[in-house]
Amino acid sequence: MNHRITANVASNLYWLGRHLERIEVLLIETLQAYDQIIDVYPNAGKKVFTKLGVELGYKNASEFMSEAVFGDHNANIQVLMAHARENAIISRAHLDFEAFGEIIQLHHLCEHASKSAESTSYLFIDDALSLIDEIWGGLLRREQHKTGDYFIQLGKSIEKVDFHLRLGGAITQTQEWLAEIDSITAVLAPNTTFNTIELSEPYSVIEAVNDKINHIVQGEQ
Amino acid sequence: MSDGTHALEKKFWEIFQKQDKHKITEFQSFMDKFAVNFNLYKDGHFIERSLPFDAIPRIIPNQEFAKIEKGLQQRIHTLNLFLEDLYTDAKIVKDGVIPEVFVHQAKGFLKEFVGFSPSQKIRTHINGIDLVKDTETDEWVILEDNLRVPSGASYPLSIRDTYRKIYPEFFEQMKIAPIKYYPSYLSNAMDYVSCGGINVVLSPGRFNSAYYEHSYLAKKMGAELVRASELTVENKKLYFKNYDGKLIKVGAVYRRLDDDFLDPKFFNPESLIGVPGIIEAYLAGNVAIMNAIGNGVADDKGIYYFVPKMIEYYLGEKPIMHNAPTYLPYFEKDKKYVFDNLDKLVVKDVAEAGGYGVMFGHTMSKIQLEDLKTLINANPRRFIAQELIEFYDEKCYIEDELQPRKADLRAYVVMGEEIKVWPSGLTRYAMDEGNYLVNSSQGGGFKDTWVEEA
Repeated sequence: MNHRITANVASNLYWLGRHLERIEVLLIETLQAYDQIIDVYPNAGKKVFTKLGVELGYKNASEFMSEAVFGDHNANIQVLMAHARENAIISRAHLDFEAFGEIIQLHHLCEHASKSAESTSYLFIDDALSLIDEIWGGLLRREQHKTGDYFIQLGKSIEKVDFHLRLGGAITQTQEWLAEIDSITAVLAPNTTFNTIELSEPYSVIEAVNDKINHIVQGEQ
Repeated sequence: MSDGTHALEKKFWEIFQKQDKHKITEFQSFMDKFAVNFNLYKDGHFIERSLPFDAIPRIIPNQEFAKIEKGLQQRIHTLNLFLEDLYTDAKIVKDGVIPEVFVHQAKGFLKEFVGFSPSQKIRTHINGIDLVKDTETDEWVILEDNLRVPSGASYPLSIRDTYRKIYPEFFEQMKIAPIKYYPSYLSNAMDYVSCGGINVVLSPGRFNSAYYEHSYLAKKMGAELVRASELTVENKKLYFKNYDGKLIKVGAVYRRLDDDFLDPKFFNPESLIGVPGIIEAYLAGNVAIMNAIGNGVADDKGIYYFVPKMIEYYLGEKPIMHNAPTYLPYFEKDKKYVFDNLDKLVVKDVAEAGGYGVMFGHTMSKIQLEDLKTLINANPRRFIAQELIEFYDEKCYIEDELQPRKADLRAYVVMGEEIKVWPSGLTRYAMDEGNYLVNSSQGGGFKDTWVEEA
């Protein structure tokens, strides 16, 4: 395996993995909350987004959809997508050709959706999720992984843990992802010994997994 | 496409008639999807945009390209000999072929590098030679040599793949030389001059206008794309800083920044995109830099005037390809001609590039022409004058119809163990009818260039 990769590119690949995963999970959560708001539980959207530190105001399901996806807050999909696009442009020499194109396409889709309609359509979410599926396929399908692929996977797995715990998921359910993170760090930093993560308190788990990337990537990013 | 329609051109139009023209929009979709960009700074703002593309290719018959190939091989061989000579023995100056003052006043001449000879004595690794086809003589004429950091090859490379997918009929039915080998020309040249270690492409970074090209070529060449901060010099050796803190020796650098910015310890101390100490490593023979430092002297339009003489001086041969008729106001005889004919000539500032500093006499008022004479008189070395070459229009498919546009050809020549002329190039066309400025930085677009396969 070619281990040559700069700290800057490694960091951008890692954040590409995190941003894409975050966008995917946010869209799925939004779609699920939207469904509940219609006729089951009107506050479903507020409940989810409060856990993410975002206070959403909406009167109905359609308003929730627009606010959740393109509202003025940290979970705005277009802003996250702009970050992912930037990560991809900086690291494009290490990305699958088609996957790179689909990332740019997803950015166009988000930009178009945020400008073109008064209310955000669930179809946008469906289209975006389909594209994300294709992107993951393109980014991680190589039979023989390159170093860059591991950084993307690391970002994706760390975001999974982070998001799961922020939404109040059980710590024990993170074990599978933590094992995956361990196997990736063993490849990327074979000579580094990391402390065992205590599965006692969500914050310490998030801190510990975030800390790994700081040990793996050294130098200016 | 010239009017002397060649069989291959006829074939093109025959196939073109049968094609679905709506599919032309797919080229733009491709460039949008894959961010095939040539960025601009306008009014202090960074604008990401794709380079305008026209789907009608320039087609060059094989025999015509064979002459271009030989002519450019001869020219690059000569220019390499000239640079090596100039920075070592300077025989060409001692023998009076080029006036000493002419060399020393060239902006790109770096006297600090006199006495240094780079790896394999190669200085002109990657070259972009701008040509036009004269309608009067029907011959290709050389307008400019770019021996520093010529850009643009990635655009035809990128679009060719797409062309084959959108309109495969052309490639099935016409004999068009494949162009995919260009990155291997580059990597072979890098390997040939390498001082031991990996190859890197040094880019100013994400916000450079040609960042797409840097990234594309690095990937295709299998070299690492780096910014200055990702390289370091220790004990006069250049190293790549890996993500895990390990240092990996660099043997060759394809730099995409000008000499002035390359090393803040040696050149401009305020450069944030250079590698401190890289010149020390270069002068110690521990790393190859391509193109060589100091090549700017050969890009000086005043030096261009002497290239035919250089060919005779170094090779004892007649130039296969000719310059545009050029006059140096530095010489009194030439100055008189220039002043008498200023309203018909094109005057160029010798140190400018990218279409800047070009003045067309026929578009200037009497007052402007008088002002220009004053400028030339004040500093005759700063200008050259050339006859206005009436070069062929190329047909462009604009707004659903064929329209003529002036177009040049940037041919790429890569020098390693051999001198390779890429059977393609960047055909650049002007945005407006009748405009002679085709440069991308002046809003010009590009076409694919199809060379008939031998």
